[in-house]
Amino acid sequence: MAASGSGGSRADNGYSSQQQQPPRRRKGPGALATAYLVIYNVVMTAGWLVIAVGLVRAYLAKGSYHSLYYSIEKPLKFFQTGALLEILHCALGIVPSSVVLTAFQVMSRVFLTWAVTHSVKEVQTEDSVLLFVVAWTITEIIRYSFYTFSLLNHLPYLIKWARYTLFIILYPMGVSGELLTIYAALPFVRQSGLYSISLPNKYNFSFDYYTFLILVMISYIPIFPQLYFHMLHQRRKVLSHTEEHKKSE
Amino acid sequence: FVSYQVEILDWKTKKQLCFLDKVEPNATIREIRLMFHKLYPQWYPARQSIKLDPKGKSLKDEEILQHLPVGTTATLYFKDLGPQIGWTMVFLIEYTGPLFIYFLFYFRMPFVYGLDESFTSSPHPVVNLACICHSFHYIKRLIETVFVHRFSHGTMPLRNIVKNCLYYWGFAAWLAYYINHPLYTPPSYGKKQINFAVIMFLLCEAGNFSIHVALSDLQRKGSKTRKIPYPTKNPFTWLFFFVSCPNYTYEVGTWISFTIMTQCVPVGLFTFLCFIQMTIWAKDKHCTYLREFKDYPSLRMPIIPFLL
Repeated sequence: MAASGSGGSRADNGYSSQQQQPPRRRKGPGALATAYLVIYNVVMTAGWLVIAVGLVRAYLAKGSYHSLYYSIEKPLKFFQTGALLEILHCALGIVPSSVVLTAFQVMSRVFLTWAVTHSVKEVQTEDSVLLFVVAWTITEIIRYSFYTFSLLNHLPYLIKWARYTLFIILYPMGVSGELLTIYAALPFVRQSGLYSISLPNKYNFSFDYYTFLILVMISYIPIFPQLYFHMLHQRRKVLSHTEEHKKSE
Repeated sequence: FVSYQVEILDWKTKKQLCFLDKVEPNATIREIRLMFHKLYPQWYPARQSIKLDPKGKSLKDEEILQHLPVGTTATLYFKDLGPQIGWTMVFLIEYTGPLFIYFLFYFRMPFVYGLDESFTSSPHPVVNLACICHSFHYIKRLIETVFVHRFSHGTMPLRNIVKNCLYYWGFAAWLAYYINHPLYTPPSYGKKQINFAVIMFLLCEAGNFSIHVALSDLQRKGSKTRKIPYPTKNPFTWLFFFVSCPNYTYEVGTWISFTIMTQCVPVGLFTFLCFIQMTIWAKDKHCTYLREFKDYPSLRMPIIPFLL
């Protein structure tokens, strides 16, 4: 069920090497949809560039890499949340990816942005936040420019290479940042009872956010290796295919 | 009279697995499966996928060799579907689980709510009522599985049953936990709410049962051919005027009534997921009907009259 082969599935947390192939048997996006998607991807590329620039400027201004989150908080929230549109793109069929897988990956990013980093103010000064923000930023800039160029049928090899290679470092980096951030949030969640509800109540429901976060962390254990090795496999396929293509020319 | 030769290759490796000589032209795929099973006893017919094309659909048992687009030497492809389990067995396992799991919580087994609460009972009548309704629902389903349902294809892959059981049994445990909890809060509108829910529950269960009986009768009268189900004298079947799959409509109704009865969020969530799943199944079924029957009633929607 995990990110399927070259069917263009985007189950990749942004770190993956899933190739978004031009639609084969399916009708694929029309001219209007393609134009919209190009605009969307260009805007997203620009957005994450803004975040990247914001990080660099803040670092230079402050002289240290601590607490840089505050300088890019708003664009990060805006553009990461904007990625929810990608679920809609799959549902409408203008992007040939699985709705479920895309939803899963976008939701996990949005969850980290809002339900952890935004909600638990005490973790915003943690260095682990910088770790995943940097990983996400670099990954997304490459990913969205990759889609932009693919849609325009003019993909520079450098971008393809970057997308299918940098994840090797960026994915573990991002995952580490995410896990450390969730772990840092735990004591504060426990203390404040954030997002938790206990019995008795008239809806006969209870939810312990602290336990939920621990389960989320545990879920990384089966999911991360699967996706990572799948991406490595994709990398071998895509980059060696390009090599052969070059040789045959 | 030309006798056929049939070779069966592995769908992936294309290795020849068997070569059948002197096969009758009117042999069915079922017979070929039996012949293949004799050579490979571990692959019983239910787990054999025999196809014309390595990536194609599995051929049905009833297909006849000479009617297939093959020459007198036919090449077929085999794929192992893995261990299979019969539908009847699947449903028996899937439905018995929730029935007994609910009891573990109703009777407050020691490991559920702690030793202090073990074997105590709830002061709220609605909790007893909920247990009766939940049990009734699953006992009804078990009875239908044994006596009413007729299954079109015999089996499903064994690994599906683990997935399905986790889902049904898991949810049963989750909702039973809250309904039978010592800190359970009865519905806000009291007896009015509960009575309304009970009536709705009984009507939907009766409706669901009526539809199952009607569908099963349809199969009995004409064997293989699919027929359009129509409303009968039973008023519960009149929902067929408006929807293709009234059994799913009634099923969702049952769970909505159970949610109202217990006023419990996990039940509501389960109801919502059931609704999504059944809508998908209903749409599928509806499309199949539309494809197969040119004169299919145009007023009908898949699951909700006029809407969905």
